Amino acid sequence: MQMVKKILITLIVLWFAILFFMPKQELYFKLEKELAKNEIKINEQSIEEGLFSLTLHESKIYVKGIKLATVQKIDFFTLLFYTNVEVTNLLLDESLRNVSPTQINEVSVVHALWSPLKLTLDAKGSFGGMHGTINLTGKTARLDFNETKNIQMLKANLKEDEEGWYYETSF
Amino acid sequence: MKHLFKSQMYKIILALLVLFLIVKIMWFLIALMWLPSAGLNYQEQKGGKSLYYRVKLTPNEIAAPTTTKKPTKKSSGSINDVTLLAIYNATDTTVVTVKYKSKTKVLSRGDDINGFVLEGAGRNFATFSKNAKSYKVMLLKSKTGSQSVKAIKSAPSTTVTDKKPKEVLGDVTDAGDHKVIDRSLLDHYAKNMDDIYKNIGIGEMKKDGKLKGFKVTFVRRGSPFSKLGVRRDDIIKSINGQEINSYNAAFAVYKNIQNIDNLTLVIQRGKEEMELEYEIN
Repeated sequence: MQMVKKILITLIVLWFAILFFMPKQELYFKLEKELAKNEIKINEQSIEEGLFSLTLHESKIYVKGIKLATVQKIDFFTLLFYTNVEVTNLLLDESLRNVSPTQINEVSVVHALWSPLKLTLDAKGSFGGMHGTINLTGKTARLDFNETKNIQMLKANLKEDEEGWYYETSF
Repeated sequence: MKHLFKSQMYKIILALLVLFLIVKIMWFLIALMWLPSAGLNYQEQKGGKSLYYRVKLTPNEIAAPTTTKKPTKKSSGSINDVTLLAIYNATDTTVVTVKYKSKTKVLSRGDDINGFVLEGAGRNFATFSKNAKSYKVMLLKSKTGSQSVKAIKSAPSTTVTDKKPKEVLGDVTDAGDHKVIDRSLLDHYAKNMDDIYKNIGIGEMKKDGKLKGFKVTFVRRGSPFSKLGVRRDDIIKSINGQEINSYNAAFAVYKNIQNIDNLTLVIQRGKEEMELEYEIN
């Protein structure tokens, strides 16, 4: 029993040490580099490192050199078995107003160890509310617009069932 | 003598410190070998030029008319007295026959009648200009068609939009040395990006993995894009003086397309570089 206790404590300490000493900023730079290969670039005003998190402030997102969005805050939080990316005040470029809602107040993407092959997505904005799941094995995504407000510009790409409007795609 | 700490405690603390040190060293090595020490700082490329003036330096020819912001209903009334009877339109010559005050007159490009200068002609219309305004006179079809004149800038009929809101309105007309693009047509494509790609294909041109420009891959026959004069394999060099060598430059033009009055497109066709001029009316 004593041995089990010791191993358990060692594992918890190791887990804490891994998270604590994790070079979060450098890992973010690596992500930035990987995204740049797909012509997605993020310019942030400042980076703040937390114990288990990394926060980007006032970021501008460019796709193929075109500034598509401005984000007030992007928060990466990880406990290794549970990871959450939270985006606050995402403002899309005005030129996209015909295809997408330009104001998204909150986006949350969660990956958890208890459902490792699935990403859950929640968003709130001028369009209302949205809940979605991304299936990593089937490479499919379904986004349900459950509290719709103004989704006129999205309707061309949406389908409707008894639960309401939804978007389905595969990648 | 009593010990303040048990030797067991020392061992635990030491073990923890060693563990922390191992983890720290491990991360340090990972960062050193695989992780970049600095992020990418993307320098935003400036978009298209905010101002563009079309200046015509050719002598003895009038400059292309600029925008006429106020829609006129009766101020151009006298153009209604001009009736278009016949059109001869070739690549180098445009001759029209008009009827004015019960007299028939033959006009070639640059000639004027009642102050209205003939600018060019299409298949069934002629364009005139007066006081920096353009007018389109339709070819007379029947005696009942008394209203054959319309200002080019005039808005398209709302009845059509009510029935088919997605229908493309407006057209591209030939005004001789330049082409006139109906603003409603431009507005339609500015709002419906998908419709652009149904009618024209534009592909990337890369050299050493870097984007160098854009090439027309197809133009749908009969579409407004085919009337613009662009052809398959044309390379788009610049729009309104802005070099189109990045997505940002192309997007900047697209974003401002509804605010411009003139468009100059420089294309490369084979070895020849051509300048195509458009007026948005």
